[in-house]
Amino acid sequence: MKNMKFIAGIIVFGSLWGFAECIIGSLMRDVNLPAGAIMTGIFAIGLMTFSRVSFRQPGMQIGMGLVAGALRLFNPFGGCFICSAIAIMAEGLLFDLIWTGFSLDLKKPQTLTIQASLGICSAYMVYVGGYIVTQILTPLFSSAGFYIENLIVFIPQMLASGLLAALIGVVTVPAVFTLKKLDITVKDRVYYPVTMGLSALCWIIVITSTILSV
Amino acid sequence: MEKDRLLPIFALLILLIGSASSIYVYATQATTNTLLVNGQHYTINQIFSLAKPRSFNESQYSGIALDDLMLKTGVSQPEQHKYTLKGADGYEKTVTWENMKNGLLTKDSESIFSNLPKAFRVKDIITIEVK
Repeated sequence: MKNMKFIAGIIVFGSLWGFAECIIGSLMRDVNLPAGAIMTGIFAIGLMTFSRVSFRQPGMQIGMGLVAGALRLFNPFGGCFICSAIAIMAEGLLFDLIWTGFSLDLKKPQTLTIQASLGICSAYMVYVGGYIVTQILTPLFSSAGFYIENLIVFIPQMLASGLLAALIGVVTVPAVFTLKKLDITVKDRVYYPVTMGLSALCWIIVITSTILSV
Repeated sequence: MEKDRLLPIFALLILLIGSASSIYVYATQATTNTLLVNGQHYTINQIFSLAKPRSFNESQYSGIALDDLMLKTGVSQPEQHKYTLKGADGYEKTVTWENMKNGLLTKDSESIFSNLPKAFRVKDIITIEVK
């Protein structure tokens, strides 16, 4: 039963993340906002931190990344959708590795400084790491191939672009911890209908918007 | 040292790296009105008068053919070379001759390839290097 709850959690949080990337991210790109850093700083870090502090189970964010990345592949509009899907999947993996590797699953209540620091470290490393991974994998999957010199000369830009994500992370992570203090619990009776309904709604909206945009 | 103390230090270090990189990127941003193609400078108008036009997706994207541009700028045995397109922001992508045959350069100096992901759209191109 606990395992089912965990899987339902992966699906709903991953779907919400993918929905945000496809719909809100596309709108941001249309008005030339730095969608990548904003989406990572708010939605990716927000949803992954919330799921992590709620379930405290390593591996969940990798699953969320896979679900969100798959949803992004269904919406081939607004920027490079293959790059976005790869970046989303990589971000899930990196968040999981960072939190597990650095033992960031905090049990005792943390000060605002620690929460803000967590926000900076997670958001920056996840965003820059995802950016680097996509710059390697996207050319590898194309007919052009990957050239290391293309990546090396662009490293300063990637390191610079992560600053915005880090600054957003300063606010997002403490906000998630504050939200968690409200201790909102969903009864088992409604947990599955709510999570599955919400996930289905995200997928239906994204697929419908894709069909209407063709 | 405890993790509680290490985290803020690590966060500050990250902010420092991000800020320093931003300053570096801003300071090294290239501004030029010409494109350096195969070692020679051209204005965008000269380039457009040189090479034949090309368009994709029912003229959604239009510009000049990148393969024709390379031939007109004196590249011999083009299939034996690689082509690196560099943007003013430092972003660059290297492509093959096959890719160039499916590529165009827009009036805004952006590369578009019909057979490559959007990651290969280099904006504000300042150099096309033949390797």
